[in-house]
Amino acid sequence: MANDAPTFRSLVTHFTDFLTVAIHTILYERNIYPRTSFLSARKYNFAVRQSRHPKVCEWINDAMAAVETEILKGTVERVAVVVYNQALKPTERYLFDLSRFPIVGAADADVPLERKAADGTTVSVLPVVDIEEQFRATMSKLANCGTVLRPPPVDGTFTVAIELKSDGQAPVSHPQPWMPVEAATRQGATELQSRRTHPLRAVVAGDLMFESWIEETPAAD
Amino acid sequence: MAQDYTEWLAINVLNDQQLISYRSLSRALKVHSNLAKQMLYDFHRKQNAKKPGAVHATYLITGTKLKNVAQTNGFHSQQDEENTVMQSSPPLPSSSAPQPDDDTKTEAVAVRTVMVAKEEHLSQAKAAFQSITGVHVYSLEVKGLSDIQSLTECNRKILVDYASEDPLEVWKQYGTIQNPNVMRRTQRRQPPPAATAAPAKTKPSASTVKPAALEKRVSKDSQDSKPSSKPTSAKATSEPSKKPSNVKRQGSDIFKSFAKSKTKLPRTDSQSSAAPSPKPVVEDEPMTGFSDEEGADSVDDEVVDAAADTVEGKSKAEREADLQAMMDQEDEPMEDVEEFKAEATDADAGAIDKPFSQPKEELKETVQVQDGRRRGRRRVMKKKTVKDEDGYLGKPQPKPTPYTVNKLGANEHIVTREEAAWESFSEDEPAPKKIKVAAVSSMQAQGQKKDKEKDGGGKGGQKGGIMSFFAKK
Repeated sequence: MANDAPTFRSLVTHFTDFLTVAIHTILYERNIYPRTSFLSARKYNFAVRQSRHPKVCEWINDAMAAVETEILKGTVERVAVVVYNQALKPTERYLFDLSRFPIVGAADADVPLERKAADGTTVSVLPVVDIEEQFRATMSKLANCGTVLRPPPVDGTFTVAIELKSDGQAPVSHPQPWMPVEAATRQGATELQSRRTHPLRAVVAGDLMFESWIEETPAAD
Repeated sequence: MAQDYTEWLAINVLNDQQLISYRSLSRALKVHSNLAKQMLYDFHRKQNAKKPGAVHATYLITGTKLKNVAQTNGFHSQQDEENTVMQSSPPLPSSSAPQPDDDTKTEAVAVRTVMVAKEEHLSQAKAAFQSITGVHVYSLEVKGLSDIQSLTECNRKILVDYASEDPLEVWKQYGTIQNPNVMRRTQRRQPPPAATAAPAKTKPSASTVKPAALEKRVSKDSQDSKPSSKPTSAKATSEPSKKPSNVKRQGSDIFKSFAKSKTKLPRTDSQSSAAPSPKPVVEDEPMTGFSDEEGADSVDDEVVDAAADTVEGKSKAEREADLQAMMDQEDEPMEDVEEFKAEATDADAGAIDKPFSQPKEELKETVQVQDGRRRGRRRVMKKKTVKDEDGYLGKPQPKPTPYTVNKLGANEHIVTREEAAWESFSEDEPAPKKIKVAAVSSMQAQGQKKDKEKDGGGKGGQKGGIMSFFAKK
């Protein structure tokens, strides 16, 4: 990340790095893949788990690259990591709300950002130490999420989804990394009510601001 | 302790849902670790009595386990009971590996094991032990622990939150395990700033020795403890400052094991003063001669500290700048220091520490001027500089001094030091040698240069022996 002048791109890169680690952690915690296939790594001065399987890593990296492209376009409102059960019904969602990201035009992605406080002093746009600390706290909460959620589904699977802003353009380019899905997956009021939400953390580090929480769909059957 | 621990635990474990290990509790409440373990146990018991499963605990079990080592291929078979249990690698297993030539087929080796287990696995973990020497609560958390790795976060937090506490002072309070054979100079600076000082001080242990060594040397040079004490103290202060940093950095320096008990300490001193080579290893060698001095020098530490403070003022950046400017002559805070500097500069053009860098430069200049005694001092400075330099990595010294021939990477520091002392003696900088010798001889109350020379030479030889092994190059 730029030491001297953080750009919007570096901000997004920080976020996608964090998201990568978060996904690996979710996979470990929810037993999507056998725990023995994970090795211990260290990120943000914190012990985390990383999958060893090359295909898994590749898939996650590709997904993050696609997410980064979309965020840079400024169309993303939320990123969700959804865990499905064997019947392909979502059991839980890990959401990251990016609506508070700075709105920077696509052409300005590499322009150095600077923020001035009300009294004119320069405020850090991307305080690395703060970021590390907050990410660490979020990872710590995420790592322990297994204790508050219901037991994970057996033979479940997962995917990454993005929810676009209402005025955003859907990414339907030729090599299509994203699959459009109807937003009508939100069921009626009753189900919404029975959906449990566990807050994770609201990360505020300079201009990098996002919220994260876990939504559990009501116990099936 | 009182009931505030219950309150503290209730706030942190139940409300904040944090992971609290017995270490964090002991640091937070300033109590002994063993007491903290008892507090955790008590809290756990009470909370679970009120509401079962309210608080989850992890336990630390120490004891011996039997490991069956298959003889077939000498492969050391690991038996992991639970994959959620962390097992520290015991020192013994390695010995069980090579035994293909034994007559028995499998050998059960008793392995001293330390294991952290979650409470749900406690009985299972205990069953795996052959004999248990101790069990205690390691940490408490609410709602269970999914990844036992997260316990490492507790220790990191302790390091960060309590970095300002000096372990030498608080170990009694917290009950930190002490090794009676480890000696550390009491002169220390604030631990946090040690980071900068660390590079300067290659050897933490040497800190105490340094002041002593410095003083010794200084005294030798001047043949007068008093007059030299001043410059020495100046140097010493710089050295001690370095030492603390070194101490910290060299806490686990492998070279410590090579240092002959105290010799290490003197080494650092000599190193810092002698050559800017940051290699801590180098320091070990010269230390040999100073082991005796260390003990006696402790008293001088105070004086040295005072002096060091003045010299330590320089930041790393300054030092580097100084190094650059070594060739040029810069003002030195003390006149005696100048002498040292001159020597130092000669010895290590590049590696001189900042604080010493200044002195070094002057040393260079003053080398010629000084008579034997003076030179000796400068030598000392040089050594220090070396140490203070960038730690063990020791930058390649672009020293123009003729002594630099000795550079051999790691050996540079040592060799240069030694050499410098040696050479200085013969070449106008008898100080280093004198200092060294002085240090040694001071013990014996003899300030002959000869001794120094011998020592210097001897030391160099020693250094070469070990240093070559650790030479970076």
